[in-house]
Amino acid sequence: MIDYHALAPELILAGTVMAVLIVDMLPVRKHWTAVVGLLGLFATVVPILTLGFCESLDFCDYSGSREMFGGSYVIDAFSLALKGLFIGSAFVAVLLSVGYLESNRFWQGEFYFLMLASVLGALVMASSRDLVTMFVGLELVTGPTFLMAGWRKGEARSNEAALKFFIIGVLSAAVLLFGMSLVYGVTGELTFTGIRAGSVGVLDGDLSGLFIIGVLFTILGFAFKVSAVPFHFWTPDTYEGAPTPVTAYLSVISKTAGFVGLLAICYLAFGEVTTLWGTGLWVLAALSMTVGNLIALRQTNVVRLLGYSSIAQGGFILVPFGAAIAADVTGSDLEEAFFATVTYLVIYAFMNLGAFGVVIAVGNRLRSAEIKDWAGLFSYAPGLATMLGLFFFSLAGIPPLAGWFAKFVMFRSVLASGSGWAGALAVVAAVNSVIAFYYYSKVVVSAFMEKVPDGVPVAEIREQRTAPSLQFALVLTTIGVVVIGFYPTLISGLAEAAKTFASGF
Amino acid sequence: MNDWLTQAENWAFILIALPMVLGAWRSVTSRNVVHSVLFLVITLAASAALFLLLGAEFVAWSVVLVYIGAVIVLFLFGIMITRAPLGMETELSHSNQTKLGAALVSGALFALITVAVITGFGETEIVSNPTRTSEIGQSMFERFVIPFEVVSVVLLAALIGGIVLARRDPAEPGDSSSSLGGAQSAHVTAEGGEA
Repeated sequence: MIDYHALAPELILAGTVMAVLIVDMLPVRKHWTAVVGLLGLFATVVPILTLGFCESLDFCDYSGSREMFGGSYVIDAFSLALKGLFIGSAFVAVLLSVGYLESNRFWQGEFYFLMLASVLGALVMASSRDLVTMFVGLELVTGPTFLMAGWRKGEARSNEAALKFFIIGVLSAAVLLFGMSLVYGVTGELTFTGIRAGSVGVLDGDLSGLFIIGVLFTILGFAFKVSAVPFHFWTPDTYEGAPTPVTAYLSVISKTAGFVGLLAICYLAFGEVTTLWGTGLWVLAALSMTVGNLIALRQTNVVRLLGYSSIAQGGFILVPFGAAIAADVTGSDLEEAFFATVTYLVIYAFMNLGAFGVVIAVGNRLRSAEIKDWAGLFSYAPGLATMLGLFFFSLAGIPPLAGWFAKFVMFRSVLASGSGWAGALAVVAAVNSVIAFYYYSKVVVSAFMEKVPDGVPVAEIREQRTAPSLQFALVLTTIGVVVIGFYPTLISGLAEAAKTFASGF
Repeated sequence: MNDWLTQAENWAFILIALPMVLGAWRSVTSRNVVHSVLFLVITLAASAALFLLLGAEFVAWSVVLVYIGAVIVLFLFGIMITRAPLGMETELSHSNQTKLGAALVSGALFALITVAVITGFGETEIVSNPTRTSEIGQSMFERFVIPFEVVSVVLLAALIGGIVLARRDPAEPGDSSSSLGGAQSAHVTAEGGEA
């Protein structure tokens, strides 16, 4: 017997994906496909809420987490929180795309179809607790994004973006699958709980070599997905060449999905070998932050800057993982680390989607994403310039914007464990926060203080209006960044979710 | 070692493995794309035979049907339809430096995995315990029904996205309300000229 209430979010979204295709065939204006998609995303929130507040509802007589298909698919507070995050970010990502697709005359119905199909994969990943479901979910997240990256068909850069992304993506999928098959071969189990039980003491036996290779390959496959240094080289080119809304999607939803897979696999399946992945991810976190930030310093293009900044932010998100490097990090320390990662992901989604929203709005008027062309933005587009400052300072972690809370819990989780290696990682993160502040503020200062360069048609730009959908997206993300910054307790519900999830550590 | 050679299935393994390695080697080194694809058929057929040797009949015939029957044919269609040159392809071959790097990486990986597999499973005797196809079907539609359904969405997305990217956009997009979108007409003609 299948629990259809538990699967309702996925089923509704799958229905929406098909509905978008059907509406695309009807003789109506193409932007109705976006409307249908947005309504569908909105409808998906309903079962997520009823599942989340099941205990206080009359018709719902279930408490605790629901395990289905022999423990392969689990609906618990953690997966519901992440599903909510995915749906919310997808809502904003669709809003960012509407005006862009319309003004550039790109194919619309198919685009929303692909984007929502990819979001469906993210929902599946949030609940999957075995290797097969996780891998297939990840493929559904990345598959459509290869195609979306090449959506500007006539542009050589977009073709290059799609091709690079595709080849690296396929390679990483192969590496991931090989690692997973080794893990399965050693433990004989597919579910994460089974793998964890089967991996007790495996490091002392003959199979230790195979298991280590399996774990490292699995982590490596995910490292490609979250573009951690040194597996990041596809990121800047893909981010720059892809249509900007797709870049926003890649840097937030696709990346978050990668981190969700990493969280579930590391903490649940590889819970017995925390020092193994802790060491690997310590190195990746330190490298991602440092390399991402140092290269970001030299960028002259806002999209490339955000590309490298998202690599560096990915490093910050990996920091709590790296804190698991020492053997005495267990129980509540791991719980804290887990909570820090989830919080950072939620806040990062708001800030980065907002920042890309501003880039789309300004880029649409100036027809340029070069930082020098953005000088003096405040004098002719004060609203957008203010939001640019807001999102960039939030990414830099300046209080009272949401970014500071993300950084705060990140540092707290690393320092809580108290080991020397974790402390060293905290120092690296602190130095990088300073570097990041420099390049974020450089863009903002130039937008506010410097003179408008010659050749910018100021009068014309003043006349132009931002598409209503984009305005809506910007308002949503701005509210998120400001409100969470002032009242971080709002997302402390996540702490509860993390606790229930982490109760097994 | 003498003991190893007296067993019939080990001889069968050698008979299968040798053409497999040869096919893999030639499909990488061949300068003709079509030849590469045909050598790949040998490798895939041999891997299907290995699965048969292990008693995994369903997997073996899946490899034959899906890889040899569909994927390879798709490769050949792809080569024909894109009008890629069919003969010798000198541009396909890389500089010696690249080749050396690739050889080093794959050699190191091969050594690493071989050592790990032999230390891990070297002495283990595999008890042949064939899985019946009906059991695979059962678990696919009960336990693994979600991945099964998700895969079908992946295929649908790949199909539709592939069509959008591959087809030629209308040269004169109408007004944005009824047009099918697409790139600006200048690019379309440039593309059309090549195709």
